[in-house]
Amino acid sequence: MRIPEYQTPELRRKNVRLAWGLAGLALFFLITSFPFWSGIFRIVGTQALQ
Amino acid sequence: MSTTTLTHDEAHHHEAPKGWKRWLFSTNHKDIGTLYLLFALVMLFLGGASAMLIRVELFMPGIQMLDPDLYNNLVTNHALIMIFGAVMPAAAGLANWMIPMMIGAPDMALPRMNNLSFWVLPAAATMLILSFVVPFFPGGGTQINTGWTLYPPLSVQVGMSMDFLIFAIHLLGISSVLASINIIVTLLNMRAPGMTLMKMPMFCWTWLVTAFLLILVVPVLAGGVTMLLFDRHFGTSFFDAAGGGDPVLFQHLFWFFGHPEVYILLLPSIGVLSHVIPAFSRKPLFGYKSMVGAMLAVATIGMVVWAHHQYTIGMSLGAVTYFMIGTILISIPVGLMIFNFIATMWRGAMTFETPMLFAVGIVLMFTFGGLSGVMLAVVPADMQYHDSMFVVAHFHYVLMPGAVFGLFAGVFYWLPKWTGHMYDEKLGKLFFWVNVISFNITFFPQHFLGLAGMPRRIVDYNMIFTEFNVVSSIGAMVFGLSHLLFLYIVIKTMRGGKKAEKRAWEGAKGLEWELDSPPAFHTWTVAPQVK
Amino acid sequence: MQNQIKQTNRSLLGINGVLATILLLATAGASAEYGLNFPEPAANVAQEIYNIHMMTMGIATVLLVIVFAIVFYSLYFHRKSRGFEADQEFHNSWFGNWSWVIVPVMVLGVDLTIAGKADAVLKKVWDVPKEENIMDVKVTGHQWWWEFDYLDHDIKVESRYVPKEESGDLYLREVDNRLVLPTGVKIRFLHTSADVLHAFWVPELAVKKDAIPGYVTETWAELNREGVFRGQCAELCGTWHARMPIVVESVSQEKFAAWVGEQKAIKVAAAAEASTDKTWSMDELMAKGKPLYETKCGACHQATGLGLPPAFPALKGSALTVGPIAGHLDIVLNGKEGTAMQPWNSLNDLEIAAIVTYERNAWDNNTGDVVQPADVKQAR
Repeated sequence: MRIPEYQTPELRRKNVRLAWGLAGLALFFLITSFPFWSGIFRIVGTQALQ
Repeated sequence: MSTTTLTHDEAHHHEAPKGWKRWLFSTNHKDIGTLYLLFALVMLFLGGASAMLIRVELFMPGIQMLDPDLYNNLVTNHALIMIFGAVMPAAAGLANWMIPMMIGAPDMALPRMNNLSFWVLPAAATMLILSFVVPFFPGGGTQINTGWTLYPPLSVQVGMSMDFLIFAIHLLGISSVLASINIIVTLLNMRAPGMTLMKMPMFCWTWLVTAFLLILVVPVLAGGVTMLLFDRHFGTSFFDAAGGGDPVLFQHLFWFFGHPEVYILLLPSIGVLSHVIPAFSRKPLFGYKSMVGAMLAVATIGMVVWAHHQYTIGMSLGAVTYFMIGTILISIPVGLMIFNFIATMWRGAMTFETPMLFAVGIVLMFTFGGLSGVMLAVVPADMQYHDSMFVVAHFHYVLMPGAVFGLFAGVFYWLPKWTGHMYDEKLGKLFFWVNVISFNITFFPQHFLGLAGMPRRIVDYNMIFTEFNVVSSIGAMVFGLSHLLFLYIVIKTMRGGKKAEKRAWEGAKGLEWELDSPPAFHTWTVAPQVK
Repeated sequence: MQNQIKQTNRSLLGINGVLATILLLATAGASAEYGLNFPEPAANVAQEIYNIHMMTMGIATVLLVIVFAIVFYSLYFHRKSRGFEADQEFHNSWFGNWSWVIVPVMVLGVDLTIAGKADAVLKKVWDVPKEENIMDVKVTGHQWWWEFDYLDHDIKVESRYVPKEESGDLYLREVDNRLVLPTGVKIRFLHTSADVLHAFWVPELAVKKDAIPGYVTETWAELNREGVFRGQCAELCGTWHARMPIVVESVSQEKFAAWVGEQKAIKVAAAAEASTDKTWSMDELMAKGKPLYETKCGACHQATGLGLPPAFPALKGSALTVGPIAGHLDIVLNGKEGTAMQPWNSLNDLEIAAIVTYERNAWDNNTGDVVQPADVKQAR
């Protein structure tokens, strides 16, 4: 395995940055699939009513 | 442009490494593409074998050879192996091989992650197979009898094999998310100069959309099965009404993944068709822009109509009306795609080599499957169709032509490019006819079974359902075995045959056909200039 | 003549043969007993659903014919082998420029036709009538039998599949106790489940609804003809999912009233028998326990007591059935969490006493224990 030599450091940084961004998107969807937010809504809702 | 001039000289230095290290440590998109395709081929036969066992069991009324739980486990495995093991890796294999060659890039953007995303797959497959094998050993618990939908509370009852399956799904998910990230980065950052997004080959567009869909929905499935694992072992009650949870929540999470998954399987094949049909009609793709638009529309609407898989769970009238209308509206972009394919053939100069035969078969049979899909979308009527054999017939008419035949078309279309040999055209055509005819014999009668009242996923049935099940099972045996012919053709082509030219097909367009057949180990080390 | 026969034989051997079989089946199907379409509806809403089904199928068939016709025309005429030159400018014609509007508008028209019709029927299916005299039937799915509670009449019917030896041709479509319903009365079904998901499906009533543990879903029907209608559980519910038939017997209101009277009498007699202070002998309990065990427990633990390990443990010689009586009673009354074993506390004391006594003495278990209804009462 070698570091792909066809990528300039600049392109490589660009690629890695985009990849992390996409991974963040995936992580966001993973976390929001847990229904904790329904509880948060309920807490916010009840507090707003008081 | 300095990029390519810098690396140009070095690129000549290393040819393909030898031995097992070439494959295990590979960062080369062509080698990884080959690995993906071979893996998918193996899984195709595993999934096919389980499907044939299912049909043998259903050949006649009565329990012939499979215990009910073993039968249900085969039903589960058939779906999971075909979807996650065969179709998705095969599409990823095509993407790995073709995308860099099509966009004039030297390799994928993140080659080492590419290696990782493939090598996670064999581990996942091992886990999946273990989930099937473990119950045969003493103390191994029960078979997974839930179907691939894994609905709780049934999936909470299953023994430890369910835990193996959950981890297998996690691994498969990691693999596809990593592969998707790689493909998106490649497509957005590595295109040859001059290739704007709207000049990108259609296959690349379909994969760009597919990869985004995967990133959005696979984590949701991962979340769902993780909660299932927690419910099973850590005393949570996400899906247990007794503890304040809701069994239906899992269904929503599953189908939030599961419905876009259908488009994930379908779109790469639509991409393949967008190359095959123009090539053999000898005229450009009709409606490139509307194709891109239709695809984006399918992906967007497809994300928000998942609950049409659960019309019977007792949703409110407003909710079912919304999901019904949303689902029916999907027929607009899908109809436009089909129309564009037909318009591409219209007034073309067609020849019918194997890829084109598959393409025409897809246009016809996918239309059929799509129309029965509209029937299923209609809520009142779906009160009848739901969970009957009609649904089984419908989704096989969508997924076999829509996904698998598209992959076959792609393999036959690009096999000369990959191997440098033309495949045996006569055998290819024979494979097409046997495959397509037996496919229809297998699945067409299942529509009638569903309407007559046969539920899906039953191991034994009343004798009124005998006739059509016999026909279906006979078709399935021929259909299953016909894939051995496919294997033979592929092996034969790999070993030799008529030399393929650079442009293997008269009407083929695109950068990949300007490379040698087979291409050098490293291609496009100097990026081409796209006009 | 001889030649002809040979030829037919040869063609029957190949793919043609299979195709011919299909054609034969398709043509024969119209008159034969196996259906090509839904059975004749037995409720008004079911009839409307049937009509929607026929309409969408009609539209789908017409569209399919049009698409096939266009494709086959093109396949025949626009071939290179016929010398057809590809029209390279086709996608730049006015049609090429505007088809992305024309096609979606046409498809939208079809969609709206279907959705409009469906929406009207959907409202009828979904809106359970809110009437005073509606008859409520609670349908509870169990692994693997149905429980029907006639809430207005205080009757409970347990419905299980009938083994092949007794049901013959109706195997997997016949039950021991049918769901008897009157015609001309609006019936509301309240669906729930005791364990995993099930789904109630009788095609003639056209209602399918999931039974979800901990939740109640509802559907309704008004039967418009008498008859026997057969359906099955439609949601995968584990090992014996195939063995959950539903048989609806639709009868006139007079017959229904008579049936209700009969059921009530049986119930009163059973309750009277169970509440006597009589001490039961081993033989009496064994005689009562055997049929009870075989209907209620036999599906999982088998008539032989050997079970179907690992899912369903054996009772023959197991630590449970030959161990302390208290533990045995506890499992039977309260079930075992995380497994298919459900609580059986809805059975009366005598029934439980009979079953437990039977389990402790059948299949060479021979513990000699006699469990009395009073013991069960104490254990509750």
